[in-house]
Amino acid sequence: MKRPFILIMVAIFLLPLAVRPAIASEIWIFAIFGLGLNLLLGYTGLLSFGQSTFFGSAAYVAGWLMKIHGVNAFLALGIGVGVGAASAAVVGYLCVQRSGLYFIMLTFALNQLFYFTAYQWTSVTGGEDGMPGVPRPALLGIDFKDPLIYYAFVSLLFLFCLWLMKRIVESPLGKILQAIRENEVRAEAVGYNVPRFKLLAFVIGGAFSGLAGVLYAMLFGIVPLEAISFVFSGNVVFATLIGGSGSLYGPVIGSFVFIWLSESMSTVWARWPLLLGMAFVIVVLFLRGGVVEAWHKLSLKFFLRK
Amino acid sequence: MSFVAAQILNGIATGMLYALMGLGLSLITGILNIPNFAHGALFAVGAYLLATVAVAIGNFWIALLVAPLGVALLGLAIEYVGIRRLYAAGHDYQLLFTFGLALIISESIILIWGPIGSSYLPPEVLRGGADLGFTMYPKYRLFVMLAAGLLVFATWLFLEKTRYGAIMRAGIENKEMVSLLGIDIKMLFTVAFALGAYLAGIAGALIAPIRGLNPSMGVDMLGIAFVVVALGGLGNLLGAIAAGLIIGVAQALVAAYWTEASTVVIYAVMAVVLLVRPQGLFGIR
Amino acid sequence: MSKLSRRDVLKFGAGAAAGLGFPSIVRAQSKEIVILGLWDQTGAFADVGPINDRGMKMALEERGMQILGRPIKYITRDGATQAGTSTRRTEEAVDGDGAKFVIGPWSSGVALAVSEVAKRKKVVHLFSGGTEDISGARCHRYSFQWAASPYTAAKTVVDSFMKANPKAKRWHLLVADYAFGWSVEKYVKEVGKTHGIEFVGADRHPLGEREFSNYVQKAAANKPDAVAMINFGGDAVAGAREIYNFGLTPKVPLIMTWSSGVEELVQLSPEIRQNIWVGSNFYYTADTPGAKEFVKNYTAKFGNPPGYAPSAAYSMTRLLLAGFDKAKSAEVQDVIRALEGIEVNDIVGRMRMDAATHQNIRPYFFMRCKSKDAMKHATDFADIIATGDTPLPKEYGACKDIGGF
Repeated sequence: MKRPFILIMVAIFLLPLAVRPAIASEIWIFAIFGLGLNLLLGYTGLLSFGQSTFFGSAAYVAGWLMKIHGVNAFLALGIGVGVGAASAAVVGYLCVQRSGLYFIMLTFALNQLFYFTAYQWTSVTGGEDGMPGVPRPALLGIDFKDPLIYYAFVSLLFLFCLWLMKRIVESPLGKILQAIRENEVRAEAVGYNVPRFKLLAFVIGGAFSGLAGVLYAMLFGIVPLEAISFVFSGNVVFATLIGGSGSLYGPVIGSFVFIWLSESMSTVWARWPLLLGMAFVIVVLFLRGGVVEAWHKLSLKFFLRK
Repeated sequence: MSFVAAQILNGIATGMLYALMGLGLSLITGILNIPNFAHGALFAVGAYLLATVAVAIGNFWIALLVAPLGVALLGLAIEYVGIRRLYAAGHDYQLLFTFGLALIISESIILIWGPIGSSYLPPEVLRGGADLGFTMYPKYRLFVMLAAGLLVFATWLFLEKTRYGAIMRAGIENKEMVSLLGIDIKMLFTVAFALGAYLAGIAGALIAPIRGLNPSMGVDMLGIAFVVVALGGLGNLLGAIAAGLIIGVAQALVAAYWTEASTVVIYAVMAVVLLVRPQGLFGIR
Repeated sequence: MSKLSRRDVLKFGAGAAAGLGFPSIVRAQSKEIVILGLWDQTGAFADVGPINDRGMKMALEERGMQILGRPIKYITRDGATQAGTSTRRTEEAVDGDGAKFVIGPWSSGVALAVSEVAKRKKVVHLFSGGTEDISGARCHRYSFQWAASPYTAAKTVVDSFMKANPKAKRWHLLVADYAFGWSVEKYVKEVGKTHGIEFVGADRHPLGEREFSNYVQKAAANKPDAVAMINFGGDAVAGAREIYNFGLTPKVPLIMTWSSGVEELVQLSPEIRQNIWVGSNFYYTADTPGAKEFVKNYTAKFGNPPGYAPSAAYSMTRLLLAGFDKAKSAEVQDVIRALEGIEVNDIVGRMRMDAATHQNIRPYFFMRCKSKDAMKHATDFADIIATGDTPLPKEYGACKDIGGF
């Protein structure tokens, strides 16, 4: 446990030296988003293809309140968490009755409904243009306009989220969720109310997504329409899988790799999605379990050779 | 009244194409239990191949035969190299893989044919409109309606009336039983994926003279194909056909009175059906 | 291989480092003037970005990549036709590469988001597109609109079309359902009133619509004298194609109100183009000295004439460089002051950047597509039949105060 934590701390300090604060901040924000998803995907075995519903809803609501009513950052983040959890409660309530491909398609369909609502409701969301002018209000006298200070704030929140998620997955609740993933029927037979626990996983995951959404809106000063699109939902799933959904740190590594890869590749070759697609295919065919798994295999080999 | 009739006719024509797409995807999801995110990209390849072959040899009809076969071959290769290893994997990796494929295919289209779209006109005999009494309607669309209808019917016949079709249907119902009967289940999966790809390819080939060519043309179709599958019920082939028609007609009617909503409506319907009747509108399971 | 000097190796190393996402290592030399071209290589405008880039490069190369005796460093980023990605990459280019001048992107919605970044980061932003907000409700000191005002466009198109077809009084509109579509629609209806045009239908379609048959059939049922589309890029191409498929064109004229010209027309075949009338911010047969020179060079280099996309990028870059010349400075505030009210004679003809709104006041083009027989070569799509430069009347102007720095 100690080693990953030290590695993450080192990464937090070194990252702004390597990439610009905006990307660095985005990596940790996306990691928070991924942590929330992975409670569903990795721990409960639910492939939600609609996580941007919670991310985007929170970003719009909190962003709007900050922009129009001058709500402070603390309250905005709290509201974001609340909106994320509430929207996840609604979506989750509807979705947990389904499983397999039906579940995936339902999360996708509901995501599309939220997307088109945002697209049409231009007086609030700006539709296609996005909702610009989201401020980055000061908190406790600290001015977040400085990108490095904001980065530090995001990093702290990320560390808190990581700690919290670790507590959650190691708690009895986490064990129950994993039991549901392993064998739903048995979990039910043992006496757990499976749909209720799945719903709980949704709500917690939604809260994390909501937090990430508000941080994202504050980072770029805008809520773009794609923040609530299925493309975002897909990205977080793909990033988590690249990192490795079987581990707590998978989505963190995945977020780092995904954003860093796509950012650096896009400046090198215009057709970079081709390379991204190849990376996806390679991960599936040869590196299932993602970067985390690859690392384990590699270190195991190294260890055995000794 | 004739306006409504015309819209319904057009909805059926579009719906036939949706049915073709949905049928292929339903076959793949039903038998292989894989959400094929590359289905839209295969559709686009069908369109590009048609135009390329037709221009090269100067014959639309031969191209219409060849292009979907090319897509089926591509499907065969994809199944053989990748999909085959994914049957035991979770939906998550299946999704990642097929999405990666979709990216590779659509970027390759840009590399091969360029990023700029183009038009490909229907063959001379099918240009212009036909007077149906209540409306003028493009001849080519009538042809597409007929061709797609025939294809759908042929696929249905194949699945219902032939031995191999029966095996495929059994594959949807119960895979263990099929393999217990000594049938090569691997072969069955390969054929099912290739057939699904063929249907996507021929939908793309048929649509090329209507929608022209564009590297991103598969994206929009992919969403609709999934709606059709959900509406018809996973692996329910008759359901997919009916659902395709329903979506086509519903879109046409909504567009007639409330154009802004014509896209959102289909996803609303999809969500409601998944909630209320997950087995699809026509499922019995 | 031995020819590789140490310098080349260093340069390569620095380039590779930049490519790998460690650009803070290669800080821009203070002498350089860094200009960002934000052009989409992926997403909805993936086909446009590469040619935007061509136009911008040509304008810079004309000046030997130098201005005011200082080297120009041109950097380009993929905005992915998405507001989030575009704003992020703009911020990175400003913070990391020291870009103080931004041109692009192509999508008007995304450009509005980038305009906010320009305002916050205090960098000069030039843009060309269909939104009237950049020089209207959301105007500010840092962003400039190169394209004609939607009013200028609507006025030119409706006036010129009615002059050629005085009897075509029943119009059906097909409008892309977002800010750009709505503002042009508003002015088309406004100007239409003065000609007694009756709008028998006005349907809105979502951005990125690919199934136009339902809309077109509805338009046909209205039996209009003319169909006018207010959409752009892929939507316009798909719409025009379906309007032909349903036999409206060539019998009924189709007006593409705000078209990219060459880029859209090349995607349609000569049969489809019959009786299409096109309004555009640029067409390559424009009778101006600047256009002749540019079109000649561009065609020689790339084998086909430039459309609106490379031309806008070219002309915006030239406008920015003219601003440097006038200001005799590369400081942001000096350049902005110089650009305000600047008058140049460029590829579209005389242009004046209105100081109060940052709206370019310039001619808009109206063309009629040629029949297949009349085409002299494969890209001889249309003839310019009119130009117009009536500026937006004051009472419609939404930019009340351009504000300070």
